[in-house]
Amino acid sequence: MNTDLRKDYLGIVFEKHRKLTAKERVGKALHIPLTQYLVFSAVLISFYILMQGGAVTSSFVFAIGNTMIYAIMAIGFCLLMGYSGLASLGTAGFVGIGAYIAFYLVQEYGYTFGVAFIVTVAVAIVTGIMVGFISLRIEGIYLAILTLGLSEILRNTFISLKSSIKIDMSKIQILGAKIGENEVYLLILLVFVVLLWITSNLIHSPVGRALLSVKNSSSAAQAMGINLMKYRVLAFVISTIYAAIAGLLYMMYLRNMTTSTSTLLAMTTSLNILGAVVIGGAKSLWGTSFGVFIIYGLQSTLLSKIAFFVENPAFITMLTGLMIILIVMFFPGGIAQIASNLARKYRESKLRKNVERRIEAYGRI
Amino acid sequence: MFAAFLSTVCGSLLGICVTCLSAFAVTLIFRTSTTANFAQASIAAFGCYVVADCLNNRGIPVYIGVFIGMAIGVAIGLFIDLLVFRKGRYINELGKQIITMGFVSLFFGGTPLVFGNPEFIPFESFYNTTKAGTDSNIVINAFGGEIVFTKHALICTAITVVVLGTIFILLKVSKWGLGVRTTASSEFTAELMGIDTHVITAISWALACALGVLAAVMYAGGGAMISASFMAIIQVNAFLACILGGFSTFYGSVVGAILIPVITNCVGFLANFPAFHNISRWQLVIVYLLLMIVILIKPQGLFGKKVVKKV
Repeated sequence: MNTDLRKDYLGIVFEKHRKLTAKERVGKALHIPLTQYLVFSAVLISFYILMQGGAVTSSFVFAIGNTMIYAIMAIGFCLLMGYSGLASLGTAGFVGIGAYIAFYLVQEYGYTFGVAFIVTVAVAIVTGIMVGFISLRIEGIYLAILTLGLSEILRNTFISLKSSIKIDMSKIQILGAKIGENEVYLLILLVFVVLLWITSNLIHSPVGRALLSVKNSSSAAQAMGINLMKYRVLAFVISTIYAAIAGLLYMMYLRNMTTSTSTLLAMTTSLNILGAVVIGGAKSLWGTSFGVFIIYGLQSTLLSKIAFFVENPAFITMLTGLMIILIVMFFPGGIAQIASNLARKYRESKLRKNVERRIEAYGRI
Repeated sequence: MFAAFLSTVCGSLLGICVTCLSAFAVTLIFRTSTTANFAQASIAAFGCYVVADCLNNRGIPVYIGVFIGMAIGVAIGLFIDLLVFRKGRYINELGKQIITMGFVSLFFGGTPLVFGNPEFIPFESFYNTTKAGTDSNIVINAFGGEIVFTKHALICTAITVVVLGTIFILLKVSKWGLGVRTTASSEFTAELMGIDTHVITAISWALACALGVLAAVMYAGGGAMISASFMAIIQVNAFLACILGGFSTFYGSVVGAILIPVITNCVGFLANFPAFHNISRWQLVIVYLLLMIVILIKPQGLFGKKVVKKV
């Protein structure tokens, strides 16, 4: 027997039992979500370190931090839309809840970040349950309209409460220690990565499977003993919590907002978050984060040197709209689906080449 | 006091007209293609910009310009229905809704690129009120006080009544109306009965977008600054009106659209009493909360019919 063929043959037989090379081991480790998130956060921390060294401008790092705040809203929304099939336009209102809690607790009453965080989550849970029960009573298609109305109520309430809010840097404390302006970036990073990890675990847990079954067929899910209302409200509450946390972090990071003119609490934010989730892929957390980067980060990081985009900031909004329309029409899985399709094609062509090479070499497999 | 109250209610006349037209357009699309058209307001704003451009830069008067704007609205409506909804490969109800949200982003970004900054349009010139030096208000003395209308609101009311009246009569008696009603109750059955539902939905989109532009021009004539999002508040009200009246009838949304501006102004009127002098800040919040309570009690809306699902 040809020695080459023998080696190949044994290679196939012992494929499973052979020792992995270092490269393969790294590849395998990168398939575990937690490793991915650790690598991801290492990259983001490196921006911070590079900024201290002066290699990266602080506006770049600021834009990345800003993008992460919107990404927190988006991964909550991803769970709501991709995994339970509900489209809500209330994100902006819930962001406002977090922002105003931050203002009242941190600025007015001098509490630390931890207290504000716990209160934000608690208020978001209560609001989410209340709103969820009201709006989910009505059939699915009305939900977006109703949450749009609710978000208007919240926005008007906030404007009536106080039309412009501001937090002093000196008031922000974590565990009793004051932190600097740039360290808030690390705080956002920590919250973002932890939430990513929690969400990814949730998606692969029985709860995530139940949500997915509700999305795919509510009748079949009910027949399997899944309580529709319970899981829909749960998804709604989770997305509310994420939005409120994002609002809290926004006030920590930007520390200043004029509610009546700010786009943060207007319908634009809700639409953009929905757009980010649709563009990136409603079922993929990485896709969603990438979608948010396209909408919120691209302009201020990579395109800030190109004069056309600086002069026409609305262009990216228009492009977003166009992408949403085309993606819903032709690629319902978003960029994540396009990427995985390309990856599969690449793997298939590699495999085919391999087989062809063997046929050429030995005349048979 | 009663005259002041009547005056307050009449103050909401323009709001009623604009909301009625928008709400009817939303219902028309909702019934025929089972999607909520979130782009209603942005398409209307785009059409209104066209009208303003005709008036300011080309000297075309409003009563001709509005037809040009409506034609643009018809074109956009047909484009969405014929080229986007029909050509898409994976379109379902949620997808349609998201596509209309995509159009909102498209117009939010595109309108400033095409027309530049938000502008104010001297629509009063159309009524010769500023030129001739006449008063833009009409005052009636009744009930021991003065009831004030604006001429613009009266003209808009007349137009709205004629337009919506014609459409309702057509819905009742014409073949097109029969087609719309059949498609609305079940698209599949309508197709089996030999109705070309594609034509019906296309006409509905065209009509709805044209009505939207008409409403936007009326609203801008009342003194609103035109921007890509200036109709957003009207759209929210129109949606809530549809929910309040119930999507299952055409007149329900119109009744809802009359109620919302009237209730808003009535709540605002309470500020005349010393006990509620601070209420105007909370006006919208109170109205929306009232609406939410009604929806909680009657999820199908005031005129809605409960749909019983059969297995």
